[in-house]
Amino acid sequence: MNGQGSSPRQGGGFEREPARRVFAQELRESRLHFRETMEEKSPGFILLPTGVRANRVFIVGTLTEKERRGDQNLFYHARIADPTGTFFIMAGSYQPDAMQQIARIEPPAFVAVVGKPNVYESPSGAVLISVRAESITSVDAETRNLWILDTARSTLDRLDTLGKDEDSRKALEHYHTDPSLYRTMVYNALAQLKL
Amino acid sequence: MNLTEVVERISHKIESKGKSADKKKIEAKLKRLVEEFGVHITEAERTVLNEMAKEYSISSLGPRSAELKEIGTLVPGEWVTVEGKVVSLSSPPTPAIAQAGIIADTSGAIRFVVWARAGAPPLDQGLWYHFDSAVVDEYKGAPKLNIHSGTTITRMEQDAPLIPAVVKIAELGPGVGSTRAKMIQEWEPAHPRMLQTGLLGDESGTIKFTIWEENGKEKLTLNTVYSIYYAQVDEFNGRLSLNLTGAISVPEDIDLQVRSGEMISGAMVHIALGSGLVKRCPVNGCNRVLSRQNYCPVHEIQNTFRYDLRIKGVIDDGTKTHNVLIPREPVEALSGLILDKAVEIAENNPLGMDEVFFRIRDLLLGRYYTCRGSEMEDRILVKECSKRIYDPKDLATLLNRAGEVV
Repeated sequence: MNGQGSSPRQGGGFEREPARRVFAQELRESRLHFRETMEEKSPGFILLPTGVRANRVFIVGTLTEKERRGDQNLFYHARIADPTGTFFIMAGSYQPDAMQQIARIEPPAFVAVVGKPNVYESPSGAVLISVRAESITSVDAETRNLWILDTARSTLDRLDTLGKDEDSRKALEHYHTDPSLYRTMVYNALAQLKL
Repeated sequence: MNLTEVVERISHKIESKGKSADKKKIEAKLKRLVEEFGVHITEAERTVLNEMAKEYSISSLGPRSAELKEIGTLVPGEWVTVEGKVVSLSSPPTPAIAQAGIIADTSGAIRFVVWARAGAPPLDQGLWYHFDSAVVDEYKGAPKLNIHSGTTITRMEQDAPLIPAVVKIAELGPGVGSTRAKMIQEWEPAHPRMLQTGLLGDESGTIKFTIWEENGKEKLTLNTVYSIYYAQVDEFNGRLSLNLTGAISVPEDIDLQVRSGEMISGAMVHIALGSGLVKRCPVNGCNRVLSRQNYCPVHEIQNTFRYDLRIKGVIDDGTKTHNVLIPREPVEALSGLILDKAVEIAENNPLGMDEVFFRIRDLLLGRYYTCRGSEMEDRILVKECSKRIYDPKDLATLLNRAGEVV
């Protein structure tokens, strides 16, 4: 663990930022991004519409497409689908582990990704949220199902406490989050699993 | 209980009367009842068995098992005759169930339900009954006695004293159990009907408990030791918990040493370099991990070493991260790669020990685990670890939660 993605913990050590569980639809609707302090190594966050800051995310879904780009500066673009939409994943030469892992996985395949979300704005004003992968491993369908449950639970937990702390009040103000929309999203995602 | 088992059981019974059984026909009849008409499988079994008995003009084929069984020996999938005392009654979860509770004899205790369709007279707590032709099936990983319309219930004029076997928390298994434990934590109830939830502990370990709202039910007091008789032991995601709603909890005027350990559950989001196959310093009592050049930070260059497996990783539940150190045995159990095999791979592969690191990383990273261990200096030293298992009951709970306000 290095300084990036960590924040000071009592006692002098560094605490790793947790990987948030978020469905593709919610991540795609995120816009607000910020740094905790002005220092160079200070971790960057995006604020999710359900009111929690994310420096890192954990995603499990179906790798549907991967594409290698660049010559000198090689990197991979990949698409990962969950029940609510698509995540855009990047792995470049600064993430050699993730790049080598993705090179060996052939779509379609269930994959688990740990990575950092970034907000990109094109000159035309279009916004793209992409996740820079730290690792990507191929997993089984059971792990995918567990992730859907886990992400549904986390999303509902966040909705239950929406407006009750500083970050989630900020999210309400910025996104005008409608909890019923996200509950429907969670319900529809869960409905794809078998009882 | 699945259809194939029931087909086997019915055809076995017919064959035991010297007739040949048509399994396809039995299965078709069962399927029609269960799948098309939604009949409970125990009821379907009874119906088909009766039909077949008539067809082959066999009398007394009925699911009678005259032999009296001990409650402690019951296993799912049996028709049984038992005698026991109703030691606990709890409010039935659905109108389809008339009564639910626990019955016990000297050999053990079992959960039971009386199906509403059985039309049986209500059982009284504290009385003994003889149950002829009840069915044992499985519920939440434990045997359960079903009292249905084919069961004959006879009240018994006896009251033998029952002394439940009290066991340590670590020895509890799914079903019904009695223990002596101290309440060490109280948690926020996750449901409006939940009276109390928290953690109980003894010398052997800890277990989650729940008490549901019910008339006259009282909360436990923090830091008090209780003797708990006939608690329901449920299994969920490979972990046990106690439902004390129907149990008898008696406060005791003693104290207990509680063995506490951390229990963490989440996704493995990082596996650090230095995981996998390592070489350890052979100097007595040192055991430090050697560098690639066989250098020990204390004893310098070593010519011999001892191989070991370990994982330095991070388990993350989405809100908090835990550094974990997993020693050889749980690593072998999780990866399926034993030390000898790992050494063989390392010695025969151009990448050497890195190859073992890559294999273990690709097998474990991104999966969900539940681990137990003790915390030391910001790191959990893992004693045991298991892969989390998908449970459709979690899905049902979450669907309800998501659908609540919609």
